[in-house]
Order: sequence, then C-alpha cells, then structure tokens
Amino acid sequence: MIMHKTNKLLFLIALFTIELFTLKYAHAHHVLGRPSYSLNEDSNTPPAIQMETQIGDYLVNVMVFPAFPQPNEPGRISFYASHLDTAIPFDGNITFMVSNNSWMNWLGFESLKEKIGVQKIDDNVYRQGFLFKTEGDYIITAEFHAGGQPYIIDFPLRIGARAPIGALGITVSILFLILASVSLIQRKRAMTGKIQNTHEQNNQQGKQL
Amino acid sequence: MTMTHPGLPMAWGISVCLFMALTTIWFFVRSNAAAVSSTRHFDLMTLPVIGSVLHYITTHNWILIVLKLVFAGLFLLIIWAGLFGTPIAERNIATVFTWNLWWSGLIVAVFFIGSAWCAVCPWNSIARWLVHPRLSNYKFSNSLGLKVPKTLRTLWPALWLFVGLTWLELGFGITTDPYATALLALVMIIITTTSMALFERQAFCQYFCPVGRTIGFYSQLAPVELRPQSKDVCINCTSLDCYYGTDKISPCPTHQVMGRMTQNTYCLSCGNCSQSCPYDNVTWRLRPPSAEAVQDARPHWDEAWFMVVLLALTSFHGITMMPFWENWMSTIARTIGDQGRLLVSFTIGLALSLLLVVLVYLAAVWMTKYLCHKTTTFKSLFSQFAFIALPLAFAYHLAHNLNHLTRESVDIGALLTNPLGTNTLPLTMAEKHDRMMDMVLAPNVLFGIQAGLLAFGFLISLLVIKRRSVNLISLDETNQVYLLPMLLFASVMTGAHLWLLMQPMVMRL
Repeated sequence: MIMHKTNKLLFLIALFTIELFTLKYAHAHHVLGRPSYSLNEDSNTPPAIQMETQIGDYLVNVMVFPAFPQPNEPGRISFYASHLDTAIPFDGNITFMVSNNSWMNWLGFESLKEKIGVQKIDDNVYRQGFLFKTEGDYIITAEFHAGGQPYIIDFPLRIGARAPIGALGITVSILFLILASVSLIQRKRAMTGKIQNTHEQNNQQGKQL
Repeated sequence: MTMTHPGLPMAWGISVCLFMALTTIWFFVRSNAAAVSSTRHFDLMTLPVIGSVLHYITTHNWILIVLKLVFAGLFLLIIWAGLFGTPIAERNIATVFTWNLWWSGLIVAVFFIGSAWCAVCPWNSIARWLVHPRLSNYKFSNSLGLKVPKTLRTLWPALWLFVGLTWLELGFGITTDPYATALLALVMIIITTTSMALFERQAFCQYFCPVGRTIGFYSQLAPVELRPQSKDVCINCTSLDCYYGTDKISPCPTHQVMGRMTQNTYCLSCGNCSQSCPYDNVTWRLRPPSAEAVQDARPHWDEAWFMVVLLALTSFHGITMMPFWENWMSTIARTIGDQGRLLVSFTIGLALSLLLVVLVYLAAVWMTKYLCHKTTTFKSLFSQFAFIALPLAFAYHLAHNLNHLTRESVDIGALLTNPLGTNTLPLTMAEKHDRMMDMVLAPNVLFGIQAGLLAFGFLISLLVIKRRSVNLISLDETNQVYLLPMLLFASVMTGAHLWLLMQPMVMRL
C-alpha cells in the first residue's frame, strides 16, 4: 500500500517535471503586474490608430485607444499639439465632435456634428473619452483657436468590425443581376431570330407555291 | 516612427552619371545608318529539351487551367482574408500578397517572361468562368458579344483607371487596409465580368485593364515574344484560326493576327494561337530586349500618352515614398486649408507631378519640331518619341520595386499558415528592423543592379531616339542638333530617377 502511494507520488512528480519542460506558452492573465480584467482605455497599452499631421503652426499627433474600438466599449483619444517652431504644447480648450463618415461626405455633403466634449490640457495631452453604441465609420473633429486662427482637424474612426457579408452580398447580387440580364436579352434575341427565320422560310415556301 | 531604406551610395550615383556621359558621346559619334538594322531572333522551340517542353506547354491547355485555378484560389483567399481577417496590414495575406509580393514582383516578372501574368490573371479567369462557364472553350456563352464603342477603343480608359489605381494605392492608402484591398478585388471582378458579359472577346484586357496595359507596354522590353515561325505560312493561310478561333479553341482575345504581329503590347500570352494554328507555326522566340521599343512597335497617339503618363506615374510612386513627401503634403494642406486624410492635397500633388513630366515631354517634342524644320507633324513626333518613356519608366520601376522586394522580407510561411492573421499583433519596431536587415540580396549587389538598370534604361532611350529620328527626320550625319531636346529629356528623367534612388525610401509595411 505504501509502495503504491510512493509510485503515485513519483508519477505525479515526473508528470509535473515533463509538463514543466514541454510547456511552451503560459497563458498570462497579468500585464505588467496588473490583472488583465482591470485594463481599460486609460491603461498603459499600445495605441491603435495613430495620426501625425502638420496644420498651420502646429504639429498634431493623435492616438486612439484601444486598437480596434468596439461598440459599447469605452475608448479614448489622446491629442497632442505642439508649435512647429518652439515645440511648446498648445494650451487652451479643444472641442471634440463626432459625425458619421458616409460616402455622402465624399460628395461634399457634411453630416451633422455632435459635440462629445471640451478638454483642457492635462500633462501636455488632451484626453477625450468616447463610447459608441453602434458600430460604423465616424469622423472625429478636434477644433481649437490659436493665434487668432481656427484649427480644425478631422480623422476617421472605425467602431466595430466592418460587415464582410455586406460586401460579398453586394458583389454576388451585382454579378447575378448582370448575368441574369444578359441571359434574358440573349433569350429574347434567340427567340426573335427564330421568329425571323420561320417568317423567312414561310415567305420562301409561299413564293415557291 | 517611420522606417526608411538607405538610398543608393554616392559612388554608384557617380558611376551612372559617368556612364551617361560616355553613352552620350557614343550617341553623337555613332552613325545614323547604323541605327537601322533588322532584329535577330532565336527560336526557343528548336532547343533540344526546352523546345519540347515549351511545345507541350503551349499546345496543351491543362497546364494553363491548373495555373489559373491556383491563382484564382489564391485570389479568393485574399478576398476572404481581407474581409474576415485582421485589419493589421502586415499580418494579413490580403495586403502582403497583393501589394508587397504581387504588385512589386509583377514588374520584375515582366522583365523575364513578358506578359505571361495575363494568361493566368484571376480577374479574367473568374469573369470567364462566370460568363462562359466552361474551363477551356466558348461552347456556352452568356455574353452579348457587342463591339466596344469606337470612343472606348483606345487606351484612355486604361490610362484613367491606372491614375485612379495610383490614387487609391498611394493617396487613399489601400495598401495598408486589408478590407479595402478585398473591396478593390471584388470591384475588379465586377468590372471584368460586366465587360465580358457585354462585349466581345476580352475587351477589358484590351482596352480597360490598367495592369494588363502596363504589362503589355513593359513587355515590349522583354526578351521573349510569341511570333510565327515562318511568315510565309501565315501569308498563305486562309483560315486565320488564330484570329477567328476553332470549334474547340477560342479566338485571340485581343483581335491579334499572328502573321501581322510586330509587338507584344496586346498579347496576353494565353496560347490560343499556338493551340489553334493548323500549321503549328506559332513559337516562343528570344530577342534582344528593347528591339520592339527601339524600332518594331508602331506609334499610336493614345498609346503614346499612356507611355508618357506611365513614366510620370512611375516617378510619382518614387516621390511619395520619400521622407520629404509628407512635408510637401503638409505645405499644400496648409495653403489650401485641407484637413483629415489630406486627400485633396494628395490629388493636387498627383496632378502636379503628372503635369510636370507631361509638360517637360511636350516641351522636348515642341523643341525637336522647331529645330528640325521639317514637315513632320507634332502629333507624329509625340507618338514616335514616346517610346523613350518606356525604358526610362521600366528601369526606374524595376529599381524601385527591387527595394520593396529585397528589403521588405515577407514571412510567407506564417502568412500561409495563418492567412487571416488571427490573434496577431502589429509588427514591433524590432521586428520591422529585423525584416529590413534580412535582405534577399546583399546591399551592394542590390545597389549594383539598381545602378545597372538605370544605365540600361538610359542606353535604350538613346537607341530609341536615334532609331525613331531616322524614321521621322533625316539621315543627315552632320547636323544632329535636333536630337538634343529628346536627349535632354532622357537625361533629366534618368537624373531625377537616380536622385530619387539615392534618397532614403520609406518602408511600405
């Protein structure tokens, strides 16, 4: 009985040792000492969308967290604006607005803008939180005044994954429509041809008689 | 932070300049009469083993069908990955295969195998299977077979589509968006299928396809061609099966008659002619690269515009990958008050770049006309000398794309095992750095090839000037001043391309 218990113990130790050496990956649930469930849009995680541009006298840098924002999940925009010549950060109020980014915008029709917040500088950064309830393509507009000039910066923001079935569905529908239309026209052509042939044959037979 | 590739070292730049100076002297010393010569060919079918293999491939359809199936499968996988895969461009097979491998490698492939890509192009294969639902012939057709309207029977549609494709690629940033890449692929299928359902043969390939027409023009500089073994056989042929097709084999998709073929521009390498020819008179031949651009190809007004704009677009590709391009965009944006993705600024930049090259070329043509005092029309000078643009564009395009191909290594294994890039993260700076350092060719070999290509392009452009001017102007040995504007154009373009290659270039992905 004692022997049996020892064997069992040895077997477990051996199994543990083998497991230890063969395990390649460990499923960590802590990131830099913090439990993963406590990570949010303010955590020190890599940004997703990053945009850098020069506008007027300012160099603007925008980052959006998290990598791929989802509906009903909070996200955050970090906005940096520094003067091109002096590198001094802009210090004032920045108004953040949102509008739909539809194909109508391409034609020059502007969507209705909704204010999401006015932010003051905080440690050289303007932080604007957001939470979208529906997925879609949006335009975020950041607006501020400096040196008597208005500054307006637009950048796109995608919430949620795009609908792939939509693109495939539209393609298949268009293809089906084209091929079906061509097929119908061809049938009509064939029928007209047959009628013409029969008509000509009847005419010839009539002449012979 | 943006990663950049190092530019061509100064020593290579000086070498190219020296070569240009020496060839310019040779250009003036060389007799005009020497420029006129017949092109020598070598029939590949006469080779002992290679000839038999080539003959089998060109006369049996199944190999082509297998290749078409493979490429169509890969194309559908790209669409699937683009729609359902990760949005991280460098981890998704859609963006990496389309823009890093296919788009860059295609031009390199033309240099060796001409327009062979068109034979297996998945856009055309899928459209054909939908409209003529059989793998090998036209037995059942769901096409109206209409003639393309006369106004569209030019290369202008392809030219504008190519400008549009460049706008999408470099302005809209489709190269870094797998979803948009998949959408573009779907749009291409719709356009190709619609064209095939409406028009006779492969009108899309002949008139509208920007990729096919680019390949077509570049393959004028390829060392291979599909031509008749004996012209006499073609002269005595009464059936013209290459043009009309047979019961089993489709006719030439781009209305070419084998006996009259003098250029690769519209050949899709589909092999229909070699399969349908009752005399087995069609063969693959080797020839001096550039023979066609130098003297064999016939000039046309729309084709000339395509070549000049192709040169402008090629240079523009290089400019947009320079670190200074972003500053230029910012300056334009600040001037006009553009915001967001700066698409208006980009469009202005694109238009200005195209306009600049076109204006320089127009000025060169106008000066040539002014100097030669002959009755030759401006239009005919424009069309004849446009062939200069071809080697200049091709040489720079190749040299530029070699940077992408050799310096932006792709982990094909990882992409094929996880084409959708599921659960992957963006490349870290260390990984990007590793990729850039893991070059396919040694840096000096790459620099040597790039410099050699620019020199090659310049040399061919000189041959074009010499040979084409004999056709147009005169054989006067003493006065060659009228050739100076075109020589200047070739030198300026090569110089600009050399300078671009010597700058650090922004990494694509």
